[in-house]
Amino acid sequence: MRALRVALASAVATVGLALATSAGGAGARPAWPVTVRAANGAITIAHQPTRIMSLSPTATEMLYAIGAGSQVTAVDKYSNYPAGTPRTSLDGYSLNAEAVARYRPDLIILAYDPPALAAQLATLHIPVIYDPAAPTLAVAYHQYLGLGEATGHLAGARAEVARLRVRVAAIVRTAPHVPAGTTYYYELDPTYYTVTSATFVGQLLSMLGLHSIADAGGTHVSGGYPQLTAESILQANPSIILLADHGCCQATPASVAARPGWSALSAVAAGRIYVVSDSLASRWGPRVTLLLQAVASDLRRAFG
Amino acid sequence: MSALELRGLAVSYDGVAALCGIDYALAPGTWLGLIGANGAGKSTLLRALVRLVAYQGTVRVGGAEVARLSRRRLAQQVAFVPQTPELPREMRAIDYVALGRTPYLGYFAAERPADRRVGHELLARLGLDALAERPVGALSGGEVQRLVLARALAQEAPVLLLDEPTSALDLGRRVEALELVDQLRAERGLTVVAAMHDLTLAGQFATEVALLDHGRLVRTGTPDAVLTDAELGRYFGASVRVLRDDDGDLVVVPRRQRGGPS
Amino acid sequence: MRSGEHAGDGAPAPPPVSATRPVLVALAVLVVVTLAATAIGPADLSLATVARVVAGHVGLHLPGRVSAIDQAIVWQIRLPRVVLGGLVGAMLALGGASYQGVFRNPLADPYLLGVAAGAGLGATIAIVSASRATYLLPLAAFAGGVVAVSLTYLVGARANGYATSASIILAGVAVAAVFTALQTNIQQQHAADLQPVYSWILGSLSVATWSDVRLIVPYVALSTVVLLGHRRLLDVLRVGEEEATSLGVDPRRVRLTVVAAATLGTAAAVSVSGLVGFVGIIVPHVVRLTTNASYRVVLPVSLISGASFLILADLGARMLDAPAEIPLGVVTAFIGGPFFIFVLRSRRSRQGTL
Ligand SMILES: Nc1ncnc2c1ncn2[C@@H]1O[C@H](COP(=O)(O)OP(=O)(O)O)[C@@H](O)[C@H]1O
Ligand SMILES: [Mg+2]
Repeated sequence: MRALRVALASAVATVGLALATSAGGAGARPAWPVTVRAANGAITIAHQPTRIMSLSPTATEMLYAIGAGSQVTAVDKYSNYPAGTPRTSLDGYSLNAEAVARYRPDLIILAYDPPALAAQLATLHIPVIYDPAAPTLAVAYHQYLGLGEATGHLAGARAEVARLRVRVAAIVRTAPHVPAGTTYYYELDPTYYTVTSATFVGQLLSMLGLHSIADAGGTHVSGGYPQLTAESILQANPSIILLADHGCCQATPASVAARPGWSALSAVAAGRIYVVSDSLASRWGPRVTLLLQAVASDLRRAFG
Repeated sequence: MSALELRGLAVSYDGVAALCGIDYALAPGTWLGLIGANGAGKSTLLRALVRLVAYQGTVRVGGAEVARLSRRRLAQQVAFVPQTPELPREMRAIDYVALGRTPYLGYFAAERPADRRVGHELLARLGLDALAERPVGALSGGEVQRLVLARALAQEAPVLLLDEPTSALDLGRRVEALELVDQLRAERGLTVVAAMHDLTLAGQFATEVALLDHGRLVRTGTPDAVLTDAELGRYFGASVRVLRDDDGDLVVVPRRQRGGPS
Repeated sequence: MRSGEHAGDGAPAPPPVSATRPVLVALAVLVVVTLAATAIGPADLSLATVARVVAGHVGLHLPGRVSAIDQAIVWQIRLPRVVLGGLVGAMLALGGASYQGVFRNPLADPYLLGVAAGAGLGATIAIVSASRATYLLPLAAFAGGVVAVSLTYLVGARANGYATSASIILAGVAVAAVFTALQTNIQQQHAADLQPVYSWILGSLSVATWSDVRLIVPYVALSTVVLLGHRRLLDVLRVGEEEATSLGVDPRRVRLTVVAAATLGTAAAVSVSGLVGFVGIIVPHVVRLTTNASYRVVLPVSLISGASFLILADLGARMLDAPAEIPLGVVTAFIGGPFFIFVLRSRRSRQGTL
């Protein structure tokens, strides 16, 4: 395992070096085959893929961001960004190896691994990269690099990661200073599912100085996505409320304010309820900065 | 007026006739013993009288046409004891007997004290009062038989139908049970129609017998007239001998056919 | 011959099956459970605070001030949840006991005839097709439940000309299978919308409000009156269809009325609570094992105990992992399962039989 990692690191270094020496020119070709690491282990890719199939909306965004968009020939039905992706009716949650194979992909990217699908695809000799929801920005950056390497766009991936790092730092730096102990309630659905600070979104919000009211019960409870009782939300009296369930369930600041008993909350009284785009909030790709930016400007309105 | 009157009674199951052209009239207080080989239609006839099977023809109880009565009214006129009653094992005996009061209660109504009293008196009359609080499942065969009879009597109907009432009992209990029915018949002026497969007992208890064969009434009359060697031999497909015991009661005994069936 | 003539003679008759004592015991338990569930919650308010709020709403004024948030917690969040839990639990238990009586099958439960599957399909369709209108969910669940049961009845009745318990139960199993398959299929096609469907299926009182209470009270009340009205007739049915018929009862009419009433109430209950399992089987069974098998006892005591059971289970859902919530269906199975086994075993060792 260790040997492999070392080998991998040196491979990455070599590739990096090669890219650096050729100044990232379009003619730069890494030495194929390459081996990348993802959640499903080490994957060897024999040739530069030209028929990539992404069944992960986030991976689709990442592939286009790093310049591999032209190699993508099929994406799942939820991959709605950027515009013009080759969308199919495939659903990443319910797949069948034959339906996937029909597109003759030479690389498949999954964010959800239906039981035995990866194993089935392996028998078809199609390499599969399994990049599940990233728990942290660092993991998301790692996924970028893996995709870059697998598709022959490591330089593009590096550049994108660098851009994101800079942008995230800038947003955090210019975000308004919130009072110490500012708490939020981030609503995932109208039955009070929420996030703790241990989740991807929770970490972004922590960067802006916010604490989840769900942290009181332990940040890792229910995988970081606990369902709160209405009572505990009311008693916690969060400073702001973020609604990530507008798209799914039509939650609005007005509908939240109208919930029985909720008018007593100070966030309701002060009008500090904001809608968060669910499609932004559920992805860990290039648009995390937009999410961060949106919350930062909400904070400016709230505390500015 | 007849207690029970059948005119052209016919029943068929899926187009196959099980009873046809039954005409009969019963005076109040009589005990009609229905006899006949297995499958002759005895149970079918009893079940038709309480509308458990659809029938053609007319049936009148106390002058009223059965088909026109509501189920409730019918249950006030005719009580029926099936051959093998379904027993709610955990139900207390007294509650079981009180179920017989159902035809007198409104749809949503509870039993009134008077209904409980009827049940209690019947238990006492049938020698079951000590067992009133016992679950039905904890009673002996003979006790259950009397309990089911008590439930039927709680209906206070003038006509009582019994389908082979003694088939589940041992020899001693059979006579006891029929004796009881006979006493109650006398006390309450009941008209009894009982399907009876024990011809000796039919001969001793019934005031009239009706012999069914393949759904037809082939012989009716007093036990003396119907229960003869010739008739029984013919319709039961067996050799029997009808004897008289010392008291002059009928005794029907089967006879082995020497040399085997030919 | 008539009963009147016998009045006065003989020993006094044993009293009819008496529900008075078990009902009083069950009521006492309900009062204690309700008070506890009102006093305890993830927001640790003092008893005095809770008492002040409740008193204030029933026209009494106790001295002392209560913050607006604490007011809201007690009156808008906690109490409707307790009351709704009581209503749903009462209805599910009473519905379960009634189905068991009418089908003479101790394993029959409110979900048997497809109520759950139908309600689940209705809810799923509502969630995926009109996700912008969550208020449609209870209505859709209700409609789905009623449609499924009607279908079960039609299919069961057609099978052999008229409906027997067995044919209806079989039809229910078939209808439930088809509805569940349809629901799974729709879910698969709308994977992104799964979350609300899943939480509804797990059952929850997490968003209970007074308007939910108002929504289901009429159905629950109507259903309860009709079902309790049938308690003696359900005892009559225990002697079987034919004998019940010969006692002047129309078993089909009783069954149709009881099934309709139980379905109406159950569908209304699950439309606001989601699919809370176990209550409809566990509660009537425990009542039967600890009191009396007569429906004149089982129905009213199940009604009251079902309320206690679900209020208690929901207290567990709120408190065991506070401030997070545990799905109610999970709690009912966790409390219900072992408790059921305990009662079953202790009863068996005492009686040597079930
Ligand atoms: N439910 C039924 N469906 C079809 N045929 C039946 C049914 N019940 C009885 N039969 C038939 O009707 C005939 C009369 O049966 P039954 O009245 O039970 O006779 P018994 O009581 O004299 O033995 C028999 O041939 C029997 O097979
Ligand atoms: Mg018979």
